[in-house]
Formats: sequence, structure tokens, C-alpha cells
Amino acid sequence: MVIGQSTVLAAEFPPSVEDFYLPSILPWGAENNYWFTKVTLLVWVAVALIIVFFLVSYRKPQLVPTKKQWMAESAYGFVRNNIAVEMIGPAGVRFAPYLTTLFLFILVNNFFGIVPLVQISPMSHIAFPAILAVISYVMFIYVGMRHHGPLKYFKHALIPPAPWFILPLLVPIELFSNFIVRPFSLAVRLFANMFAGHMLLLVFTLGGFAMINANALLAPISLLSWVLTIALTMLEFLVICLQAYVFTVLTASYVQGSLADEH
Amino acid sequence: MTGQEPPHESRGDNGPNPPDTGVGMTAVSYLIAGMVVWGGIGWLVDHFVGTRGIFAGFGAVLGVAGGVYLIVRRLGA
Repeated sequence: MVIGQSTVLAAEFPPSVEDFYLPSILPWGAENNYWFTKVTLLVWVAVALIIVFFLVSYRKPQLVPTKKQWMAESAYGFVRNNIAVEMIGPAGVRFAPYLTTLFLFILVNNFFGIVPLVQISPMSHIAFPAILAVISYVMFIYVGMRHHGPLKYFKHALIPPAPWFILPLLVPIELFSNFIVRPFSLAVRLFANMFAGHMLLLVFTLGGFAMINANALLAPISLLSWVLTIALTMLEFLVICLQAYVFTVLTASYVQGSLADEH
Repeated sequence: MTGQEPPHESRGDNGPNPPDTGVGMTAVSYLIAGMVVWGGIGWLVDHFVGTRGIFAGFGAVLGVAGGVYLIVRRLGA
């Protein structure tokens, strides 16, 4: 066995956070330069893919949809009916475009995590989920302020229906749970899932190389490790879809909370 | 996904709210928020008074009580 792990993957065995910082593309191969890396490229590819797909499939809409148009309509219909209307109610239809964009952007970016030869998701860097969470955060607060008026919205969000003497106990909990935990948990949930998924696949792939290099007798176990990598990739596919769905559903749920009337 | 039908309800803001929207997440977040906020305030009090954790403990219990109360008020029938 001459194939060393370093010649195949250019990575050391216990995978580390460094494996998420890929070399710079522009300027090519520059050290410690993270302005334009594979991750940046992948985000733009995802944006371009989604835009081009929807433009092409809706260029000549037909009453009996073509295959592409059917796919685009299914994607939009799924988010509109099963997320927007399901979570927010009839008023959710006007949030369907944003939620669809969000869902597809996360889905495509996550999916890069298991595309052969690409195999890293931009969402495994916390910056991208964090910005998405900030957008959702600003949106649900803005929507609430427009629906109720700023004062009434914050009163509704912070002051629960309770006797006055218990309010000092409850208002800090409401503040923390509604305005601090929400964006944080949105971002961290998506980031941690994609980070852990990438790490898991790295451990199983590189571990196989590490074992086969350590002792030729371990070759069957290496093989097992690589077979498991394929199985884990399937699992990762599940996580990818689930996390895109969860992010969108929670965003819709927060918007619903902002629009809800007092009861 | 062949059966994607448009929603049956008429569009508009007047329809009834859907019955169950992320209630589980909200409940868990109230419990944790209660513990973290009041436990944290208690910890700060400990820090300044010089006790070794009695206020943090009481704060966490108080916070959970507040969280449970909030769940009942906000999410209960």
C-alpha cells in the first residue's frame, strides 16, 4: 500500500478545525487568506444554481407543467402549503417566497456536504447560519412591530398575562427566551449539525487511511470504515434535509408568534 | 409531491390560527431560559456578596418555577 492519506486527501488523521479552512482560491494558494475560498465559491454556486433553475423553469410557464416546471412548483408548493400555511395560517402565503428561498438556499448549501469531490458545506462555518438567523430575527421582529405597532408588540412579547407581582420574575425569562435564545439557537443548530457531519465523515475516511498505514493487517477494518463512510453519507443526507426544514419551520413559527393576537 | 393542492382556506388575515405551532420548542426554551436567567442573576449575586452558590441555586429553582408558570399561562388552555 503506497497510497498515503496525505497524497489522497492532504489531511492529517485526527481531523481538526483547520480542515474547515480551505486554501485560498483568489489569490491562488495564499496562506491565511480567507477572502475567496472553496466555501465562498460554493455559496455563489448555490445562489446561481437556484436563480438559474427558477428562471429557466419559469421562462415559459405552461398550464400542463413541464418536468422542470413541475419540480419548481413542487418545491414552492411544498414550502408554501406544508410550512408557511401550515405554521402561520392563511396569512402565511405572503411569507412563502422568503421561506422558499431560505429553505432552498440552506438545502443546496447543506447538500454540498455530500456531493462527491465537493464534500464541504458552507453551513459548517458559523458565519453563514448566523447571517441567516439574523435575517430571520430582524424579520420576525419587524413583522410583529408592523402588525401590532412597536409598543404593543414588545408589550405582547415581553409581558405575559399574569398578576403584577410575579411579572419581575417572568419578564427577564421572556426577554431571554424570545429575543436572545432564538437567533442563537437557529444559527448554532444548523452550524453544529453541518460541522459535526463533516467531522464524522472525515474521521471515518481518514481513520481508514490511518489504520491501513499503521498496519497492513488492519486493512479489513479500514474497508469497513470506508463502507461506513458511505452509510454515514446517507445519514448525512437525512440531516441535510431535516436541518433545512427545521430552520425554515422555526422561522415560520417565530413569524407566527409575532403575528399572533393576544388571548 | 404530486398532490400539492393550494390551501383550502381563503387567503387573508382573518382565518383561525393553526392549533400547534412549535409549542414544544417554546416550552423547552422557557424552561431553559428561566433556569439560565435567574440562575445567572443568582450567580452574580453570589459573586458580589461572597457566598458560594446559595443564590445561584435558589435562582435556578425560582427560574424553573417562572418557566413552568409561563408555559402554563402562554401555552396552556
